Amino acid sequence: MKMAKEEQRPENEGFGKDTVEGKTKDQRPVAGKLMVCVSGSPFSRELIRSADQIADDLNVKWIALYVDAPRRTPKTMNERMEISRNLRAAENLGAETFVISGTQISGEIISFAREHNVRHIVIGKPSYSRMIEWVRPSVVDQIIRKGENVTFHVIPGRPEVRANMINYIFPEHAVKWAPYLVVTGMIIVLTLLLKFTGMANDLVNVALLFLIPVLIGASRWGIGPGFYASLVSILSFDFFFVPPVRSFTVADLRYILSFAVFLIVAMLTASLSSKLRNQLKEAQENEKITLTLYTLSREMTVVDELTATLKRIVLQIADKIGFQAAIYLPDKDGELKIAACSNDANREQVKAGGLIAKWVYDHGEMAGHGTQTLSESSGLFLPLRTEDLIHGVLVIYYGAHRIPDSLEHKKLIEAIAGLVAAAVARMNLQEEAKKAQMAAESEKLRNVLLDSISHELRTPLSAITGSVTALTDQDDVFTSEDRKELLGTIRQGAARMNRLITNLLGIVRLESGMLHLKKSWCDLEDIIGVSIRQIEDSLENRQLTVEIDESLPPVQVDELLMEQMLVNIMSNAAKYSADKTRITLSAYQKGDHIEISVQDKGIGVPLNELDHIFDKFYRLKSDARVPGTGLGLAIAKGIVKAHGGTIWANQNQDQGITVFISFPVGK
Amino acid sequence: MTNNSQSRLLIIDDEAQIRKLLSVALHAHHFETLEASNGEEGILMASTDHPDLIVLDLGLPDGSGINVLKLIREWSEVPIIILTVKEREEDKILALESGADDYVTKPFGMGELIARIRVALRHTAKAEEKSVLDFGRLLIDLSRRVVLVNGNPIKFTPTEYELLRLLATHAGRVMTHRQLLKQVWGGQMINTDSNYLRVYIGHIRKKIEVTPTQPKMILTEPGVGYRFVE
Repeated sequence: MKMAKEEQRPENEGFGKDTVEGKTKDQRPVAGKLMVCVSGSPFSRELIRSADQIADDLNVKWIALYVDAPRRTPKTMNERMEISRNLRAAENLGAETFVISGTQISGEIISFAREHNVRHIVIGKPSYSRMIEWVRPSVVDQIIRKGENVTFHVIPGRPEVRANMINYIFPEHAVKWAPYLVVTGMIIVLTLLLKFTGMANDLVNVALLFLIPVLIGASRWGIGPGFYASLVSILSFDFFFVPPVRSFTVADLRYILSFAVFLIVAMLTASLSSKLRNQLKEAQENEKITLTLYTLSREMTVVDELTATLKRIVLQIADKIGFQAAIYLPDKDGELKIAACSNDANREQVKAGGLIAKWVYDHGEMAGHGTQTLSESSGLFLPLRTEDLIHGVLVIYYGAHRIPDSLEHKKLIEAIAGLVAAAVARMNLQEEAKKAQMAAESEKLRNVLLDSISHELRTPLSAITGSVTALTDQDDVFTSEDRKELLGTIRQGAARMNRLITNLLGIVRLESGMLHLKKSWCDLEDIIGVSIRQIEDSLENRQLTVEIDESLPPVQVDELLMEQMLVNIMSNAAKYSADKTRITLSAYQKGDHIEISVQDKGIGVPLNELDHIFDKFYRLKSDARVPGTGLGLAIAKGIVKAHGGTIWANQNQDQGITVFISFPVGK
Repeated sequence: MTNNSQSRLLIIDDEAQIRKLLSVALHAHHFETLEASNGEEGILMASTDHPDLIVLDLGLPDGSGINVLKLIREWSEVPIIILTVKEREEDKILALESGADDYVTKPFGMGELIARIRVALRHTAKAEEKSVLDFGRLLIDLSRRVVLVNGNPIKFTPTEYELLRLLATHAGRVMTHRQLLKQVWGGQMINTDSNYLRVYIGHIRKKIEVTPTQPKMILTEPGVGYRFVE
């Protein structure tokens, strides 16, 4: 990760853009992608803008790449923030962005370029003295040396970039003193031990033993304490062990060489072990992030209901990263509302954050704690973004704490925001699909209902109109027999229309809870007789058998509704059975209940549909040929229930169904 | 009226009341009637009993009316009159374009239905091409492409003449917008607005009608097409 570091200190050398052709075998412009290598330096913005222009000129797609390489000095928070800012900036300009990790930057860049058909590489050339360049070839040179078939656009570092550098709000790492004290302590203890165990004369071993504090310091606390330990060790070694003892002067000049070797070995060891430590730390952090994200994404798939999912997410955030969180989502009117909030979050605080959340929601940029906007807020507000859409806002409450100073944390919360956004987007889509389906279904139901009602009304009306026009226009052609038939058709049509209208009114009454019973003591035989008279015409040639128990007591019912119920059940039986078949109506007493059964020899009902035939608008799936509205039996059920009774249907042994009605006699 | 006795009509309707009404009324007008209560039965009777005309209810509950029509049209040219409800304009058009000869909207007057049946039957009777169509006030000489109104030759543009000829040769029947556009202008005009058609019909009406705003010869069937009345 030299590049990033190097770019941060560009010197006064070279302004503007100068494009050099790198090691290209083919001088003709080749189609393929353009890639820009970015780092955490603000100078990378310049690179990105240049890359965008060049890509535009060449009319090719472009990629922004960041190679995350472990290195001696850990990345600062600012640098890490800058990396993600740079990548986002590239994304906004239309680039594809990639982050890869590896130890050898130049190698990673070249192999990535090969894999992604990159023919142009835009790279920043930091400027430093010729001396250093001669000693250690820069990453840029290494890449150019390795890159074949690639055109390089090298942009020299620009000094004014530093002046334009954004003011970061995150404070830099404060130097921690404890490791240095511990290292000093270790060296003192070691010196004393060596002094008093009589090993002082074996100078080679003493020198080797002094590497221990260096190793421990570097591997535990990083490169600073490591280097510090090497210096203190060499001083202690010189002062206490190398003759003349208790003096920094050296008797034998050859010891100077030994010191130099010791120092080199110590510093190398320190740098290596601290590098190792950084790698380990990063690997661990990454593992933690992966685990957290994995847990979260699993949570999201488990629950399929938005508020529950969001609740679990905020709880997970509180649990996994240790800070309270809340999520704001817009409601139906687009007003931002708190959708979920972790248990220990300060409710007042969450409520008060509404305005910042709204700003973040409107602008699509993060704000609050640790950012440049409204940084005095206790929460960090992140927009929940998928593609171009912002679904809501995630808030993490850091309170008085600083945001943990690591890219990992930043990556984690951004990844969480991404996951939440994806979850919300998915849920919203699901909701929309569900709504569309419901709308389509209710539309379908409405159409079916309108169709069947119009058919049911129009058919008898057609019969009436047809008969009447036939009789009025050409009365002379009809015999008296014909005339009687036509008049009969009119009567039947009128009765049928009346039944439908009664049923429609009935269902409206049932639906609106306006079905009031006017109970009186009635003779059931009488009611049955009236209902049969009503449907006589539609029975045509079906054979109706009526079996009424003679000892039937008077019943306390609503006479008119009872009649409507019986008419509906019997006309249903007639409708679904062939002409000349038998319909049997029986009425008998069973304890304090009256039971009526209507048996037909019709087409029957499949077992799995038996329970549904009393549902509103339900029509048999198997036979769509019989016209109807699906209201009759539903109304019958409503009437029976209003009387405190029950209605059910059974399949007959041979053919058709039997509908049973049972209701209490009354007091 | 005597020729009615030879005509055998098949009624395909699921509603017993309508079937009864039709058979009573048609019998009284000396038609012989056959009844089918569903599409399947209807198709069978259409093939075995050779009716002279079919009255088909488009609103069979299983929605098979249009299928029945198409199936019968695959092998038979028998005139078919559709019974349908007013709201289903698109069904009427579909039926007419699928080969129905005419339609009657429910609830219908018996006189109207019988008149339509007679027109349809007459059409099959005079299948042979006549070279001169005489409508009294209007006379069209197809062989000479001459149109006379009250005996005076009137100038028609080729498109107008073609449109008039098409309507007149199908006198008594409804021609849908699509059918007219397709046959007069050819395939590419099918998707055109029927406004285009209305303009031409307006021109023709001015030339042949006594009062073009109250046409007596070319009647508009709202939403469906035009009908030339004999």
